[in-house]
Amino acid sequence: MLEIQDLHVRVDGKEILKGLTLSVPTGEVHAVMGPNGSGKSTLSYTLAGREGYEIVSGKILFNGEDLAPLSSDARAARGVFLAMQYPVEIPGVTTINFLKTALNAQRRARNESELDALRVLKLVREKAKALNVPEEMLRRALNVGFSGGEKKRLEVLQMSLFEPKLAVLDETDSGLDIDALRMIAESVNAMRGPSRTMLVITHYQRLLTYIVPNRIHVLASGRIVKSGGPELALVLEEKGYEHLIGEPA
Amino acid sequence: MSSQALRVDPKTQLFEDDFAANSADLPGAGLSWLDSRRVLAMESFAATGVPTRRMEAWKYTDLAGALDGELEPATLFRADTAATTTDVFADLPGTRVVLMNGFLHYIGGTALTDDIDIVDLTQLSARTPEWVRLYLGTGPTGGGPGLGTASLALMRGGIAVRVRAGAQGLSPLHLRFINPSRSQPLMCHSRVLIVLEEDAQLDLLESHSGVTSEQVLANLGVEFVLKKNARLNQIRVQEEGTHTLHITSLDARVAGGAHYQSLLVNLGAHLSRVDMNVRLEEPLASVGIRAATVLGGEAAADVTTIVDHAAPHTKSRQLFKSVVGGRAKAVSQGRVTVRKGAVKSDSHQMFKALLLAPRAEADAKPELEIFADDVVCGHGTAIGALDEDALFYLRSRGILAAEARQMMVRAFLEDAIGEGTSEAIHDAIWARIDAAMTNVEDVP
Repeated sequence: MLEIQDLHVRVDGKEILKGLTLSVPTGEVHAVMGPNGSGKSTLSYTLAGREGYEIVSGKILFNGEDLAPLSSDARAARGVFLAMQYPVEIPGVTTINFLKTALNAQRRARNESELDALRVLKLVREKAKALNVPEEMLRRALNVGFSGGEKKRLEVLQMSLFEPKLAVLDETDSGLDIDALRMIAESVNAMRGPSRTMLVITHYQRLLTYIVPNRIHVLASGRIVKSGGPELALVLEEKGYEHLIGEPA
Repeated sequence: MSSQALRVDPKTQLFEDDFAANSADLPGAGLSWLDSRRVLAMESFAATGVPTRRMEAWKYTDLAGALDGELEPATLFRADTAATTTDVFADLPGTRVVLMNGFLHYIGGTALTDDIDIVDLTQLSARTPEWVRLYLGTGPTGGGPGLGTASLALMRGGIAVRVRAGAQGLSPLHLRFINPSRSQPLMCHSRVLIVLEEDAQLDLLESHSGVTSEQVLANLGVEFVLKKNARLNQIRVQEEGTHTLHITSLDARVAGGAHYQSLLVNLGAHLSRVDMNVRLEEPLASVGIRAATVLGGEAAADVTTIVDHAAPHTKSRQLFKSVVGGRAKAVSQGRVTVRKGAVKSDSHQMFKALLLAPRAEADAKPELEIFADDVVCGHGTAIGALDEDALFYLRSRGILAAEARQMMVRAFLEDAIGEGTSEAIHDAIWARIDAAMTNVEDVP
């Protein structure tokens, strides 16, 4: 269960989230939709614990534990995963080596035994196949020279490799063609389960026709202004944000 | 006291006094060819003296300020400290030559073949081979003001090596320089001469180590002579104590079709400077220099190169990478000269530095002097901090901050270390860099 209570977050001295309240029961997929500048990325970075995203007040509780004092690596070890809107290129670090280092860092933090290179490779290959990620990509430097679609597929590959308890997908649909979108949605849907909580953050409803959420929340000016069932996406698609935000929440 | 003596600064005086008092007892004293070269070298040194920051070529590195005025000339030292000092290349095959305070200590490992000759420079005499007489102390050594001339004038020891024409596939030569801890502050002036005859090839693994409680000035003059189509692959790891001042003045002469490849891994000393002067003398001569510097604490390291394209169709590549933490300072200066008539010269220099702490410093100065048409010369400089986006990305995947930083530092240095090095050497170098990194991260 993810519970965000009256969250106020400041970035570079400016308040971006202004009293955001949201709860996602374990096993459910919720979507957060909102126009540009509404605070979507701030929400995802705050959940992942990025430095510089200062929680002024309010709480983020995940399965009853307050995430605020935890560093981003500690959150990852507790099962928090953010699929990023702009995955970072890191020259000189091969993708496979990164995956192995990350997986074992998380396992180490949880007092689980580390996996050797062969085990990791086998595991990664399995996941890569489902996402049509070629082996050659794994040997290349992390995200360097990857197309937008390849980067997003690698994000989802990581998600399926790390098996997080809380997955936040930040604009995972941006820059994807329809085939890539379908494939990614399939992988995400395959990961839905009773013990996993997901938050899908998106500007457009397109992704939500493939990943159908239990609930949709509309974010505007740093607060949730409306919540509803999956049909809310269609209303937004038809009438736009302005129409909705104009309504009393 | 003469008026001239008043003008000499006390640091320079230290060297002049040593020469005045001891020149008659230095190795090879009485050999006219060497005596005259030593005298010329001393005059040349005295004309500029110990470099100060007022000299353009030394404006980032304060040697005169760091130098203790009480250094004694080192004498032969026999205690076996080699065993207690980390040997970077311990697991690699080859002939091992250990030099202690610049004196040849022993030769071990793979036995030498007839293809390679080694001469102990403390044993110079009338019977010294012709090739030593021909080359020792004939290069400009460093190419500017510095201590190169003093290393010849005051040379106490060192070695000369010759690889015979056409000799290839020799086992690597390890030169291990150690400055052991001794009871007084010392200055050690030594020389290395390596001559590769035509078509000869040599892998040279060089390490400089030693932690002392008193100041040591390791002043090394190096001459490389590469004859036609020779290939020298030098890999040098310098990892010295916080009381060591290390100056290497290196002069390389590269003949037609020959290639000199150098990887300088600099992991610190109180102050170090490598002054390289490479002359591409004939068409198709080429040089590749890569420097990887990792510094923490208050260390200062300076790599200054002069590459002289003196003939057409010559090529040089230089890559300088520095990772600097604490209050350390890394200096990279590279001057490329393309002489008149050296058409189709092809040169590139790249300087990159990663600053890990707010008080860390990196200075990069590329210089080009081109007197020929139809040449390709490029350079670039980039100095910055670790990419925060990348750090967050790695940490959000569960990688701890220290490990994430280490991964990024590795990634940053890898192209300087990786290219053309064998896996064993690569791993040996990384083991030392990883050890050095803990020190770099230590000091805020």
